[in-house]
Amino acid sequence: MSLTDSLKARTTKPRVPGKRGIYAVMEPYLFLLPAFVVFGLFLFYPFGRTIFLSTFLTDKLGNARVFWGVRNYTDLFTSSSFWASVGVTFQFVAIVAFGGLLIGLATSLLTAKKYPGVTFASASYAMPVAIASAAASMAFRMILHPTNGLLNILFGTQINWTGDPRWALFSVSMLTIWLASGINFIFISAGLRGVPDEMYESASIDGAGYWRRLFSITLPSISPTLFFQIIINIIGAFQSFSQIRLLTQGGPGDATNVIVYAIYRDAFFNFRFGTAAARSIILFAIVLVITLIQFSFEKRSVHY
Amino acid sequence: MSGFTARKNLTRLGNMLLNIPMLLVILAPLIYTLLISVMPPDEIYRNMLIPSSINLNNYVNAFTHPAYNFLTFIRNSFIVSTSVMLGQMVTCSLAAFAFAFLDFRGKKWLFVLVLATMMVPGEATIIANYLTVSRWGWLDSFQALIVPYLTSAMGIFLLRQNYLTFSRELHEAAQLDGCNNPRFMASIVVPLSRPALGALGAYVFLNTWNQYMWPLLVTNSSNYRTVQIGISMLYDIDAESLGLMMAGVVIVIVPSLSIFIFMQKQLINGLMAGAVKG
Repeated sequence: MSLTDSLKARTTKPRVPGKRGIYAVMEPYLFLLPAFVVFGLFLFYPFGRTIFLSTFLTDKLGNARVFWGVRNYTDLFTSSSFWASVGVTFQFVAIVAFGGLLIGLATSLLTAKKYPGVTFASASYAMPVAIASAAASMAFRMILHPTNGLLNILFGTQINWTGDPRWALFSVSMLTIWLASGINFIFISAGLRGVPDEMYESASIDGAGYWRRLFSITLPSISPTLFFQIIINIIGAFQSFSQIRLLTQGGPGDATNVIVYAIYRDAFFNFRFGTAAARSIILFAIVLVITLIQFSFEKRSVHY
Repeated sequence: MSGFTARKNLTRLGNMLLNIPMLLVILAPLIYTLLISVMPPDEIYRNMLIPSSINLNNYVNAFTHPAYNFLTFIRNSFIVSTSVMLGQMVTCSLAAFAFAFLDFRGKKWLFVLVLATMMVPGEATIIANYLTVSRWGWLDSFQALIVPYLTSAMGIFLLRQNYLTFSRELHEAAQLDGCNNPRFMASIVVPLSRPALGALGAYVFLNTWNQYMWPLLVTNSSNYRTVQIGISMLYDIDAESLGLMMAGVVIVIVPSLSIFIFMQKQLINGLMAGAVKG
């Protein structure tokens, strides 16, 4: 661009619609192209494909064979093992969501004040976010080992933590709470830092004790954070897979057969891709509803 | 006044002491794993908690024994995680640039579409993706592990938020001076957004390194298996070598922990943006 052109450009209004060249019109789409090709092939297409497959009976290679309408869904909704799986999933999700929140809240409160070692403690409480669920599952295989594991040694018990239907879901939940504790700590302590100091100062002048301040000032002030964190925990717990596969394989029986594991079992052990697809859509619907609940609450809770 | 400081010191001490049990609970899995990995085998079976001597055989075995292929797993995970990280940095920067700086038809709609992808849990599309990849003959290959993850809504969102903090006048001025968009992006936007790119990079590398379900489905041979699959296979090879299993866990956790320790700030920034997805 020459100097006169540049001067002209300065005096004319930039970007007159209709006068742009074809490249200028296309350019934004070229910037978007790489991302949308990947989304298209590995997100939009498979999403559509999953809905499609959920209405078919498939062969062993996952090709749609017989149109089945909504019967994959109605078969699921009338089978007791599906409801057992949903029940197990909801129990698991509830334990993990609240357990993770409690640990996160406790660790955040423990590091809210400055003292020697608080940096180390904070880093340790955040650390589980970096640990892979598969690696942690292998570590817990040892911790929960029926004869040589840490838990049985410490408690002097001989519990088969992952093989006993009374303990399996509990064991998998403990591991998942440990994994989730890091992200809970990070978000809740960020929420705590956002509470203005003046609120505490006026309260301690009034002579309110620690617990009183906690329940009447701290918790109400961070309730939007806690709510958001519960939703994050719920969505994360619904997606858990490695723990189940590496510790219990959904068993014993169906004691830990959560929805995602049931999808995996249907597709890769029974080769029932249609049913697996229907389960996937149900999982999507559940996560969608939870996300929408969060959005509507977030809109309402912005003003406090 | 001295009573006041004494009381303050006492609360500090109390705070420190209260942290000890909690720290033990949170750190126990890692400490225990490390202890078992260096414990002589007979002590594991005698249910000891602290090894009487340090035995590094498990580590030597993990790296040198041909049955375990640990070096291959680590190499594979590095290739996959680095490629996914770099790929996302490129595709997400480009898309975020369009959403933040350019005007075009359908912009709002396309951005909503990107955000909507965050609501689809990966597990809900994993079956169809597996079928696609196997139809293409991609099972057991690096492209199967890398290509599906070459972009993310979270990355686009994170970078777009960052770009929006730059003034639009900067872009207009650059345009008037004849600086085209690719050059403006390469010479001004990318250098200015290095912290956000670092956050995205740390987050994506770690997430890919830690992936389990997808690599489990699309790899069959140890040539392409990643570390997380590798350690979970140790159990299938030899259920009784508990110490070896724990050495494997330590080996794959070291890179994760290093990212956490050295890039904690970036990682947490990335996580906070990513948690919208969960």
